Amino acid sequence: MSYVTIDQVTKGYENQVVLNNISITLKKGEFATLLGQSGCGKSTLLRSIAGLEGVDAGRILIDGIDITNLSPRQREVGMVFQSYALFPNMSVFDNIAYGLKMKKVKNIKSRVKKIIEMVDLIGKEESYPHQLSGGQQQRVALARALVMEPKVLLLDEPLSALDAKIRKSLQKELKRIQKELDITTIFVTHDQEEAMTMSDRIFVMNNGQVVQSGSPSEVYTSPVNTFVAKFIGNYNVYDMEVFRKIVRNRELKGTEVAIRPEVLQLVSVGEDSLDLQENWGIKGFIKDVSMTGNVLRYEVETEESAFHVDYLHHRGKMFEQGALVHILVPKKECIIL
Amino acid sequence: MKASLTFHKLMVGLLVIYLLIPLVGTLLFSIAGKWDHTILPESYTMKWYIELFQDERFYDAFRRTLFLIVMSVGLSVVIMLPTIFIITVYFSKWEGFLQAAAMLPYGIPPIVGAVGLIKVYSDGPIQIAGTPWILIGAYFITILPFMYQGIRNSLRTVNAVQLVDAAELLGATKFQAFRTVVFPNIISGILVSTLLSVALLFSEFAFANLLVGGRFETIQIYLADKLNSSGHLTSAIVITYYSMILLLTGTVLKLSFRKEKNPVVSNKNRILSLFKKQYRHKNTALEGEK
Repeated sequence: MSYVTIDQVTKGYENQVVLNNISITLKKGEFATLLGQSGCGKSTLLRSIAGLEGVDAGRILIDGIDITNLSPRQREVGMVFQSYALFPNMSVFDNIAYGLKMKKVKNIKSRVKKIIEMVDLIGKEESYPHQLSGGQQQRVALARALVMEPKVLLLDEPLSALDAKIRKSLQKELKRIQKELDITTIFVTHDQEEAMTMSDRIFVMNNGQVVQSGSPSEVYTSPVNTFVAKFIGNYNVYDMEVFRKIVRNRELKGTEVAIRPEVLQLVSVGEDSLDLQENWGIKGFIKDVSMTGNVLRYEVETEESAFHVDYLHHRGKMFEQGALVHILVPKKECIIL
Repeated sequence: MKASLTFHKLMVGLLVIYLLIPLVGTLLFSIAGKWDHTILPESYTMKWYIELFQDERFYDAFRRTLFLIVMSVGLSVVIMLPTIFIITVYFSKWEGFLQAAAMLPYGIPPIVGAVGLIKVYSDGPIQIAGTPWILIGAYFITILPFMYQGIRNSLRTVNAVQLVDAAELLGATKFQAFRTVVFPNIISGILVSTLLSVALLFSEFAFANLLVGGRFETIQIYLADKLNSSGHLTSAIVITYYSMILLLTGTVLKLSFRKEKNPVVSNKNRILSLFKKQYRHKNTALEGEK
């Protein structure tokens, strides 16, 4: 039974369609991510769920209740904004207690104290937002949303303004808190690595539509189209006509083929150990080598095209620029699009 | 580096001297007895001030000016604050119209505006030409650009739209969101706009003279009248009302500092930051997470 249902939601601004007939269902306690480039509609969808944007057509249901036409305050959803949106005139305690005061809840002190402990902000209760670091501000924003015990937690790129180290630490913490509270969460990001790390399920969006959904592993290993392949995995994508020439095989079907850069292998020309039963072998030379820390990325130029090949960065094991190589392309790893 | 700092200090010093010289000159002239052929007055006297403070007309003019200013600025805050808030937060596509309307006073010379106003309001259903009410209306329009820019900039600086969104999601009504979250954060901006408007209206002469003139003598009309009698007395008037504005501004600022709930952020800095158009919501401390 789905806990959150987004049923054929459509929204447009003037002549532009921002959300095009989107349907999504989520189970209770699921951590879902809307992943896509800027302008794909992911934040608009999130704001529509929050009630901050209306929809032109379709329905949004949470826990079986149609909330499509309810005001934000009636929806029982919590939201964390990219820029935190903390109230500058209030201390950490007052920021977190704000929603409880508005709803005239009892035991405000104990509830706020409990959530402050959970997000590890003990000792900062009387601080004002401008006295906190970016990470601490984000925790306050998270605590402020969580203290209301919302049915669904919406996170609009909450970590994108933080530096890499704090972002990684908060990713773990966010995930821990989400599991601890078993709260259904919808997370918006354009960072595919962040989406992979955090999510139970990813919805890849493009041009106002969900183009693929599935577990991080499914989305990464089985992209359904060129957009997903390029956006989520830095795939090598070739037109099938070109690929047939590269591998000299006329029988391949489909319009495009995608190959992950880390499944390709490089073998120096002259070595005999080429397994051409399971692989296609393509001759080329190392045009460029770049390093992203733990990964070495080779750009290999062949007669017909170019390949990106990723290798884990082992000490001493490296192909020099200009070296002649064979690229081994595993046949079963070629995804026909 | 040091030379450049000295240069900057020198430039600022020159600017301060340039701005202060007329004021110091006026002050000296207001307390000068004999001042004909010397750089500084040959003798000093307080008789111009004594004469001024013994004149009932001065007090009446001052009271009238205060009445006009309080009414105009108060009306402007009461009407413009909710209007600008509603348009900025909920109807942003109409912001252009409001901006254009707020800039209109710059495009109409006071003499043209005054003649038009007299023509419109001298007959018909609202006959207020020659009364202080027409002046209040004209002043409302005169200070519109200051009020609009000040309030709008404050709303943008605090990102009012997102604050309202956040407050509403936490269960606040639109009015509660405005009262508890937006208003406390833009009060400095409102104060700055108000003070600018007060200062502007204190020295406004054209509308006052053309619309009401001697029938409702304001401080500026009183000043213009006294210009013909004695330069010393005029200087004493200028220094007096300048001091009063200074006192008023200082009091308002001091009161607002005391009301400041946040002990760390000085309101003074906030006001200065508004002038500098700086966003003060920055990470300033405790960087570095575990």
